[in-house]
Amino acid sequence: MFTNDSVLARGPLQYAAWGAFCGCFMALMTVSVDAAEHRVNFANDVIPVLTKAGCNVGVCHAKAGGGQNGFQLSLLGFEPQEDFEHLVKEGRTRRLFFGAPEQSLLLLKASGRLPHGGGVRLTTDSAGYTVLREWIRQGAPYEAKEDPKFVAFEVLPSRGEVGLQQQQQLQVIAKYSDGTVRDVTSLAVYESNDDAMAEVTSSGLVKIQNISGNVAVMVRYQGQVSVFSASVPLGAPVETLPPPKNFIDEHVFANLKTLGIPPSIPCDDVTFLRRVTLDISGRLPTAEETQTFLASSDPAKRDLVVDALLRSPDYADFFANKWTALLKNRRDDTSDIVSNFAFHSWVRDSLLANKPYDQFVRELLAATGTVLGNPPVAWYKRVKEPKQQIEDVAQLFLGVRMQCAQCHHHPFERWSQDDYYSLVAFFSQVGRKPSGTRGEDLIFHKRGIATANNMKSGLALKPAALGDEIPSITADEDPRLKLADWMSSPTNSFFAKALVNRYWKHFFQRGLIEPEDDIRDTNPPTNPALLTALEQHFIASGFDLKDLVRVIAQSQAYQLSEVPNEFNVSDRQNYSRYYPRRLQAEVLLDAIDTLAETQTDFTNLPPGTRAVALPDNSYNRSTPFLRVFGRPEAESVCECERIQSSSLAQSLHLINAPDIKAKLASPQGRAERLLKDARPVEEKVNELYLVAYSRRPSPEELKTAVDYLNETDITIDGQPVDAETLRGENYQDLIWALINTKEFLFNH
Amino acid sequence: MRTLLLAAIFSGMSFCWTLTVHAQSVGLPTPRLLTTMPMGAKAGSEVEITITGEYLEEADELTFSDPRLSATRILDEAGQPIPFRYLVTVAPDCPVGVHEARVMTRLGISSSRAFTVGTLDEVVRTKPNTSLADAMELQINTICNAVMTQRAVDYYSFEGRQGERIVVDCATRGIDSKLNAVLIIADAAGRDLLVERRGGSLDFTVPEEGRYVIKVHEITFKGGPAYYYRLALQKLPSEASVVRLPSTQTVNSFSWPPTGLPEKPELTEQEPNSPESPQKISLPCDIAGHFFPAADVDVFEFEAKKGEVWWVEVASERFGLPTDPAIVVQRVERTDNSQTLTDVAEFSDIPSPVRVSSNGYAYDGPPYNAGSADVLGQLEIKEDGIHRLQLSDQFGGTRNDPRNEYRLVVRKAAPDFALVSWALHMELRNGDRNAVSKPLALRGGATMALEVVAIRRDGFEGEIELFMEGLPEGITAQGLKIPSGQSRGMMLVTADPNAPRAFGNVTFSGRANIDGETVTRPCRLASMAWPIPDAWSDLPSPRLLADVPISVSGFDFAPLTIAPTTRDAYSVTAGEKLTIPLAQTRRSEFSGAAMKCRTMGAGFEGVPMFDVALTADSSEVVLDTATLKTQPGEYVIAFYGGAVAKYRHRPKDVDVAEEACRKAEEDVAAIDAEVKNLMDNVQAAAPEKKSEIEQALAAAMVKQKAAADALTAATARLKQATDAAAPRDIVDIVVSEPITIHVQPAEK
Repeated sequence: MFTNDSVLARGPLQYAAWGAFCGCFMALMTVSVDAAEHRVNFANDVIPVLTKAGCNVGVCHAKAGGGQNGFQLSLLGFEPQEDFEHLVKEGRTRRLFFGAPEQSLLLLKASGRLPHGGGVRLTTDSAGYTVLREWIRQGAPYEAKEDPKFVAFEVLPSRGEVGLQQQQQLQVIAKYSDGTVRDVTSLAVYESNDDAMAEVTSSGLVKIQNISGNVAVMVRYQGQVSVFSASVPLGAPVETLPPPKNFIDEHVFANLKTLGIPPSIPCDDVTFLRRVTLDISGRLPTAEETQTFLASSDPAKRDLVVDALLRSPDYADFFANKWTALLKNRRDDTSDIVSNFAFHSWVRDSLLANKPYDQFVRELLAATGTVLGNPPVAWYKRVKEPKQQIEDVAQLFLGVRMQCAQCHHHPFERWSQDDYYSLVAFFSQVGRKPSGTRGEDLIFHKRGIATANNMKSGLALKPAALGDEIPSITADEDPRLKLADWMSSPTNSFFAKALVNRYWKHFFQRGLIEPEDDIRDTNPPTNPALLTALEQHFIASGFDLKDLVRVIAQSQAYQLSEVPNEFNVSDRQNYSRYYPRRLQAEVLLDAIDTLAETQTDFTNLPPGTRAVALPDNSYNRSTPFLRVFGRPEAESVCECERIQSSSLAQSLHLINAPDIKAKLASPQGRAERLLKDARPVEEKVNELYLVAYSRRPSPEELKTAVDYLNETDITIDGQPVDAETLRGENYQDLIWALINTKEFLFNH
Repeated sequence: MRTLLLAAIFSGMSFCWTLTVHAQSVGLPTPRLLTTMPMGAKAGSEVEITITGEYLEEADELTFSDPRLSATRILDEAGQPIPFRYLVTVAPDCPVGVHEARVMTRLGISSSRAFTVGTLDEVVRTKPNTSLADAMELQINTICNAVMTQRAVDYYSFEGRQGERIVVDCATRGIDSKLNAVLIIADAAGRDLLVERRGGSLDFTVPEEGRYVIKVHEITFKGGPAYYYRLALQKLPSEASVVRLPSTQTVNSFSWPPTGLPEKPELTEQEPNSPESPQKISLPCDIAGHFFPAADVDVFEFEAKKGEVWWVEVASERFGLPTDPAIVVQRVERTDNSQTLTDVAEFSDIPSPVRVSSNGYAYDGPPYNAGSADVLGQLEIKEDGIHRLQLSDQFGGTRNDPRNEYRLVVRKAAPDFALVSWALHMELRNGDRNAVSKPLALRGGATMALEVVAIRRDGFEGEIELFMEGLPEGITAQGLKIPSGQSRGMMLVTADPNAPRAFGNVTFSGRANIDGETVTRPCRLASMAWPIPDAWSDLPSPRLLADVPISVSGFDFAPLTIAPTTRDAYSVTAGEKLTIPLAQTRRSEFSGAAMKCRTMGAGFEGVPMFDVALTADSSEVVLDTATLKTQPGEYVIAFYGGAVAKYRHRPKDVDVAEEACRKAEEDVAAIDAEVKNLMDNVQAAAPEKKSEIEQALAAAMVKQKAAADALTAATARLKQATDAAAPRDIVDIVVSEPITIHVQPAEK
């Protein structure tokens, strides 16, 4: 809401405008503007007021949101000409009253003098109100021929170091085509990318909170965006750092040093083995693996474990599970089973063979033929329309969210509708032929010059990739291959960055850019140097996914303990420690099956199939566990579809759901086997701890467990419970207790 | 050497297939040979096989499409033939490849099942192998015959030596199996090393000496008798090319090669024959090439004169490859610094001459595609000068497979035709495609229609007569010619009601006059690998047959025969009406009082539908040559429609069973009386006779028990026969006998 006052004076001019009287008729009016007055320019003066007041956001009068009560403005004022038409000419100019400007509907509503769903947006004494009233009084002109155009704006400072609980006032300077500048600090719009770290007032005052790290404030003015990046040091002494193992450590530790955040110590061997096995293979280490690893004195044994895990098909299964959900491998009809299984297998086999990532994406984007002959064709079965195709491709492979630009200029980015439809043009020559299989088409390249019509301008646009020129594409060339060429170019500034950021998040729980698929100038990475280094390393490796996993998992940064020290407990973005996280739904189900020595039965699949190897979402319906623990339905390309938060339903499920009980009591299960096992009970407890936690029990834990297993009990009528029965139940109870610990449920 | 393979050891297979019983199904019971185990044999060997199928009652002679394959029944200890067991002898000179196996049954010759003759030793899987521990060991250079286990992976193992090149191939779809095989080579611990899911073979170089595992499963883990396979494990020299296991031919391959085309082409493509450096050729030409590497575009440049007409043909998909060739011909105009290309012609698919089924719920055309993704078209040169022909694979954008070959022929017009046919189906009952899969097994009094389709080459427009030679006794065939300029005709095969049981391979041909010469071309027969009771759950899998076998049952008869009252030709003057009296011979009850009939045969297909009575023995149809605008000439027509018969399967078996039951009851009554008499005698007998009578009584009681058992068995057989013979509603395609009509010119 406006309270400030800043209007610059320009020169005198006469404006001619359409006015209305009593809303019944229109007449040509002549309005005088005194030479000493500022001549109001609609785009330069009025639009910023409307934007600052929030009139043109989605829930109010933005056209994209429907426009409340028929009053429609372009989102965030990206289309001043259209807004002018709506404001001045629509509804027989009912929104403006030239005879008495302050009685204009626009001002009556905005100031709350007439009931307004959006409340008071402009007080009558605010600068914004004055600008609008003056604009109406001057006859509501759009612009004069000699009026300068807005060119750009600058945020001062653009970056800086701000202490905890300190403040920084930003200044926003707009530049115009005639060389003039203007302080528009009060008119610009501000938004912090992390309110927990920094809040920002409507006047551009940045208030740093109690968390150190890097934070950004997006500043928007006149359809353009800029950013203020603040480094918020903790300032603690960073005296000892683990010796860096690779470039990742150099960048992570350098950032920690700059911020004064001492990292946690490196984790111990058992923690590392469990962590890395879960992160790369989506499973618990076996008891044998744990014992072998702990017994090894090889100084390179951690590196060797990473290599071994990457060689294993478990890696391919686990990462295929990630990718197939993002690529919408969704079962909408029972007949989808063949294409879904084939597609999942293609992803899995590609990962197993370590197909270069650019080749993987190329095969997907430019897929042709039949699903069985070329399974990535299945993607075209689920994502049918070119618009949906480019939106998914941009978000998933480029980290750019283009959806907004279909209808209007992207509010936080530089992407226009032309950019959007130029991307669509890459998919305009995808031909389809009936395949004979219900719901499936043969996909081929349809000869012809690729273009797509900008729905707004009607212009036929040739393929162009996010502002980059693409060499002319002939009618015979499949434009999708050219898009793939552009993506895999070493100079592409999106493709590799999006992937390394996504994979970084996989291992560190938080992307260097967050959300991981919203990479834009106004959402800067928390460690830009690290992101750049990862990107360059990935490109130089030939887009080698296993190499990327290897370099991340072998870094000291990844191997830091999750236990915080006195300084880094609140750190959530600088990787000064490992951030624990709950096991994913599939991984947790497999882990429970492993501990209970049971199998979950999945329709159509061989007994013993792991949950991380499930090909599509259909199993969420048949296996409530997966649904409760947030396995995605593969409806979007966003990783956020996977629910990683905790819920009461999850706790209840683990405590007493029938499937959990059945696993514990399974005649083929571990509890039953241990009951019949003649080994000393201590050895059996050891086995359970090795499987569940990849470690042996502490003496206290061992004693507690053994005592429990040896307990006796009496029935309700006072008779001693059969010892065999009781021991069996006690083994089940012990396993059940282990499952319900955070140490089991979390990767840490 | 005689190889004795016990076929009863494979699991999950029964001798009689469960038949889906609908309230109203389509197609009378038809003998279908569905599996043989094993599915092939080595040339020069003998092998015992077991067959299964539908309606294989009283199966006797097992026949093959090649006389060098023969079979005899296997006898039990009593010298009686064991049902469904045969000893197959493969002559040493029997060609390697897929042959047709069929069995003669009570209902006539069965449908065909692929039987492969190879050069490798053959084994049959002898016990379940669905775990790593149970992996079946295979010797190198062996073929294993097996049936896929449902929801499981079949495991095999072999010993590999470092550096050896091992090729693993699996015949499935190409031998009529429903299996979409996944092949995996894994290490001894079962960890996947190499995977093939697209129907290809695995080409594996052994990294180190040791045990390796081959895993086989269906892509969606389906299994059961229909999912059989032949797994080949071969060692190949490093430089040898991989020859795939033999396969049946796709339907559209009938139109390749053109008559007289040399086996080897005169030219091969010379890479890089790209747009930048086209390969110079002269017309006519015959070139072999590959769609390799990915997105390969082969460009050939030639000189041509205005007015020249060439015919362009490409074969690739018709080789059974997953390709989609496309051609663009352009005229090239060059100046010193530039080159202008002007499109002259584009060629892509060869359209099917008849509408192909969409495999939807409603039957909308035959599920046989006589067209192809290949190219066949006319090229007319419009200007003198240099032209370029650009050949690419519309499915090849991302695929790197040198096995994707093509052959390009550009020739002067050589008018010709190729023919293919299949059993006529029509819209009878939604979803049920059982009747699409039917052998030419005629019942006495039945007429079966074969739909015949022509691919015309190089502008040939003349009419094509259809005929069969070498028919068994009692069977006649009448072709309904393919008219000039059209592509569809019909062949009617009729069994005389009194035709003796017979079987024979016939010659099926088309004849036309081309440029003054009579040309005869074979008509290939196509059929389905499997009956499809529900088009939503399964897709038809059509293929070409190697021969044209026709049989007549000798036992079973058509429910309805429709025939003209005279076999003489009818005569009518053009513009007048012709009434044709029809006689119905009914051997069954029917639902409804009349059958709607259509007319087939060029010139008369526009006859309005008319009723043929199902409750009377005669009908008539009036043909109005004025409305039909029939030109003078000789025509052959027939009428056809669908009638719901109250079909009774083997009703005479009920009489036999009743008689046997009655006899058994009499035997029981007799022995009961005897036993009672002996018991009375025992009571009354003198002590010295008592022992003798008691012995007789004991013997009689044994007989009494046997008689009672016999009665129980006879009663069960009677019930079985009665159930089988109970009337079932089955829709049958009824086709009349052919009728010849002379249309005389109208008098002026």
